[in-house]
Amino acid sequence: MSTLTPDRDVTPRPARGGRPDVRFVYWIFPGFYAAFGVIICLLTRVTPPPRPDVSTAQKVEFFAQHHTTIQIGFCLLLVLLGGAAITNGLVAYHMTRMSVGSVFAYGYIGGMAVGALPGFLLVAACFLTATFRPDRDPGLVGLLYDLGMLSYNGSLGCFSAAYLALAIAILYDRNNIFPKWFAYVSIWQIVTEVIATQMFVFASGPFAWNGSIAFWLAVVVFCVWLGALMVLLKQATAREPAYSPDRTEETAS
Amino acid sequence: MNSPSSIPVPAQTAIPVTARTAAPSRHLPGDRDMWVMVLGDMLIFGGYFVIFMIYRSMTPEAFLEAQQHLDVDIGVINTVVLLTSSWFVALSVPAVRNGRHEHGIRLVYAAGACGVLFTALKLYEWCTKITGGQTNSEMFYSFYYVLTGVHLLHVLIGLVVLGVVARELRNPARRRVSMVESGAVYWHMVDLLWVVIFALLYVMR
Repeated sequence: MSTLTPDRDVTPRPARGGRPDVRFVYWIFPGFYAAFGVIICLLTRVTPPPRPDVSTAQKVEFFAQHHTTIQIGFCLLLVLLGGAAITNGLVAYHMTRMSVGSVFAYGYIGGMAVGALPGFLLVAACFLTATFRPDRDPGLVGLLYDLGMLSYNGSLGCFSAAYLALAIAILYDRNNIFPKWFAYVSIWQIVTEVIATQMFVFASGPFAWNGSIAFWLAVVVFCVWLGALMVLLKQATAREPAYSPDRTEETAS
Repeated sequence: MNSPSSIPVPAQTAIPVTARTAAPSRHLPGDRDMWVMVLGDMLIFGGYFVIFMIYRSMTPEAFLEAQQHLDVDIGVINTVVLLTSSWFVALSVPAVRNGRHEHGIRLVYAAGACGVLFTALKLYEWCTKITGGQTNSEMFYSFYYVLTGVHLLHVLIGLVVLGVVARELRNPARRRVSMVESGAVYWHMVDLLWVVIFALLYVMR
């Protein structure tokens, strides 16, 4: 007992910063993206992408070879995909703490939701249909292969509006919720992902859906963006005052 | 904003003379965030340039043949326009540092006008290329449209940056030298990237 041992160091441990509910939601962020990485890289085989310049028979063969992991992976993603919305909600939550108000946060949530439809859901539906209906015409299975991959990678530009909303909010913000350099990293995201539109034109080379410029450079920038966001969200969560009168009033009313 | 040279340094006999005289040059123009943007952006463009060179070395004849349709004259004019605008921006920094804000604003406007001219020339060039049949169905022109397109996007962002700089300079309460320096650093990057793109696409044989 500390009262009986006065010479003992009784300095209390510094309280962990931030609100416990926000801290809890934060851990969904790395958790979701770790699961997402395993699903797209190891299970469903959409990253690294399969070749765009293959024959219909090879496309049918791809689905036959990987049908079990594709089914497990994309069924899992259909269940977990809401996690992406929660991570977007966390970013938007911190955006509402910025001095710019909540209008950009709404824009971010809406923009990310638009991107998720062609970016995740359509490819899941295409690949699941192709693997669960293997008796279909090979030409149609080949179409699902192209449609799924072009939707998954070619639609990267759909996230641009969300990144722009985030970048503008950060640059205008006077509360320094996120550092200004992160606004610029978000602008790189727009630039590298808009180039993905070239994938519709090319079946091989640097601008195809497995191309060095259209895909791999965009992936590297996305990884930098996501990694930075993970660290910055943790810092923003820790820096938030544990008790905030504004927030309490909001929830009480 | 105070430059380090304006801060009185107490005499410290322990510090060698060279270290003290070197101190003023350590001032980083602009803010750190803008340097992250500029260096990172140059890294990404560096990636584009390396990939361009790899694909060029695979089919050099096709690239050279396609390059013949590019108008070097308009490329040279655009290079001169952008270098001139960079010169205006470079002049605006000492003008603002010395308190000649009106002169600085005029220089920023002049740089912006050059940027608008560059954009107009680039759009005209694209129109003539597309109507001439040079579309992105050729590998060289795919690189051409992507590299010049991404660069043009940087020019447009730069025009917004120059607009913000001019707006801050017009308001005496918001004037910051660091803001002008950051804008200048960004605009010089736009200029530097164009010079490399010009050399790779238009000039290299």
